[in-house]
Amino acid sequence: MTRYEDSERAAALLDLQILDTDAEQAFDDIVYIAAQTCDAPIALVSLLDGERQWFKARVGLDVCETPISQSVCQLEIDEPVLLQIPDLAEDVRTTDNPLVTGPRAFRFYAGAPLVLRDGTVVGRLCVIDTEPRPNGLTRTQEDLLGALARQVSDQLELRRVARASEKLAALQEALVEVAEIVRRSSSVSVMTQEAAEVVGRVLSVDRAGFGLVDESTQTIEVEPDWTAEGVTSIAGRHRFADYGSIRDEIASGLPLVISDVDTDPRTADDPSLMRNVGIRALVNMPVREHDETVAVFIVNASMPRRWANEELAFLRSVADRLEAGVYRHRLDQHQETVNGEINHRLKNMLAMVQAIASQTLRGVVDREPIETFEKRLVALSGAHDILMQKGWIEADVGVVAEATLKPFGFADRVTVSGPKVPLGARAALSTALLFHELMTNACKYGALSVPTGGVLLEWEVLDEDDKNDLIVRWREIGGPAVTPPTRKGFGSRLIRLGLVGTGGVDVRYEPSGLQAEMRASIAHLATS
Amino acid sequence: MSNEPPADRSIILVVEDEPLLRMFASDMVEDAGYSVVEAANATEAVSILEQRTDIRIVFTDIDMPHGIDGIKLAACIRDRWPPIDIIIVSGKPFPVSAELPDRAVFFPKPYQQVEIIAMMARMGAIPSDGSARGA
Repeated sequence: MTRYEDSERAAALLDLQILDTDAEQAFDDIVYIAAQTCDAPIALVSLLDGERQWFKARVGLDVCETPISQSVCQLEIDEPVLLQIPDLAEDVRTTDNPLVTGPRAFRFYAGAPLVLRDGTVVGRLCVIDTEPRPNGLTRTQEDLLGALARQVSDQLELRRVARASEKLAALQEALVEVAEIVRRSSSVSVMTQEAAEVVGRVLSVDRAGFGLVDESTQTIEVEPDWTAEGVTSIAGRHRFADYGSIRDEIASGLPLVISDVDTDPRTADDPSLMRNVGIRALVNMPVREHDETVAVFIVNASMPRRWANEELAFLRSVADRLEAGVYRHRLDQHQETVNGEINHRLKNMLAMVQAIASQTLRGVVDREPIETFEKRLVALSGAHDILMQKGWIEADVGVVAEATLKPFGFADRVTVSGPKVPLGARAALSTALLFHELMTNACKYGALSVPTGGVLLEWEVLDEDDKNDLIVRWREIGGPAVTPPTRKGFGSRLIRLGLVGTGGVDVRYEPSGLQAEMRASIAHLATS
Repeated sequence: MSNEPPADRSIILVVEDEPLLRMFASDMVEDAGYSVVEAANATEAVSILEQRTDIRIVFTDIDMPHGIDGIKLAACIRDRWPPIDIIIVSGKPFPVSAELPDRAVFFPKPYQQVEIIAMMARMGAIPSDGSARGA
């Protein structure tokens, strides 16, 4: 028996996740049949786990494990054949075994190997008698014991397959969840923390987190992480130098996978670096860009564990998705900053225009035109605010109406209603100016100049043949009798320019109040 | 319209780094009948406030170079000169993270002069007799 085969067996058992599990009917049935078949008082499914043998199923024995030194099953274990010892008291290998010399007084042993599909022997199905059997088992009993041992192996592997496919399904589900988190996240730290929690739970680890690597400063900035209860966070900035040879691993771009920091050659020299922060096993999954490690997804476990290939593949996908998410958030943030800066400069420019106009016209005694000018400027400025929120691409007609009309007051006498319709940048600006002029006129001469009047601003999308039109109606009611203006001022010309500056406006001075209908194609509005 | 003698008219401190806009704001304040004192940045404003006790309202921009911006200036005024009312203007939206001090109001730039002057009157500033208009 070599160390190598021992570790193969330990790894296989770990992988089966069978050790120290509860009794299961399938295995209990098999040991019962084995005992009956061989007419033996004792039958066991014995698994060889390093320093002990552990019994998945047993009849006729009151302990569930013994030290490996007392194990008969481990004899010749790497020979995948039936082991029979007719009289344990006579055999040199077992004559001093306490199970033989002691009160249990084992005398006969027959054990068939439990061989997995890859050839690894993980233990034996054995029968034991307290009487020696000089002739051993009959040929039929031997065959049946071998057949039952193969049943045990199959059961073990089937359970593993079932667990593996369950695990795979859980990992896939978790990955979908992570993708969803990345899509809907509002900030980098929320995204990484929520994703870390999903990963931490599905892998049953103690800590999970995402860190951005800064090669220039040789540091890693760990975003807010997820930890199991009672485990401390490692969020914050860390220096590579503090983690020994791991630095080189991260820089190399290969995933750092450690099953046990006590035995792994990269950490065994000084495992306390890891153990001090509660780490026995870990994976650092790097994200590479232009041959550089830019980020790492980190999982830590407080107990040694073997990391399955599908778990590593899962972590790679998670790390990639998060890195793409971080990149997207940074772009958004940058765009937002740029938009804010552009808007700020634009506002300052409008303020300068206002200042120059005001200084230029300082000698003019009639202040009304200057106030009118200022109001138009402020209306234009307000339309820019709305446009900025969508990156100067579009603005909703309702939002434009609301922002333009609100500063006038009269909220209780102006009714605004209509569906959402996106306006392009130019259309949004000219529509804002148009509403502003209509409102100004209503306040000065129209329905809002008397206490009883009101304004209805409504719009709808008209679906005709192959083109859609937006129809906006402005109706004043309950105001004074109106007459068409004698002079075409700038205000009424602005109104006649319509929604996109190309007309499509019908203004009628009805005795009941001014009515204006403005029309433009949806496509034209959106692209103007 | 008030009949206060000119000597009693309120003094407004205009803080704005852009000279053209400062000139514009000062003219607006003066045309409304108030006395005006100018500062090109927050540090200047603070040293003026330290030297004289007759400032009634501070009218300040937010974005100004050299450290202290209009929001910090407003907080400082509220802390050190509680009686002074504050009007803050900016080409940027008022920052969501910042808090408007008590008896301080915000107007986006460009602003309507009539609205600023009306606000000064509401804050209790007293214009000189006869020279005010628009408020």
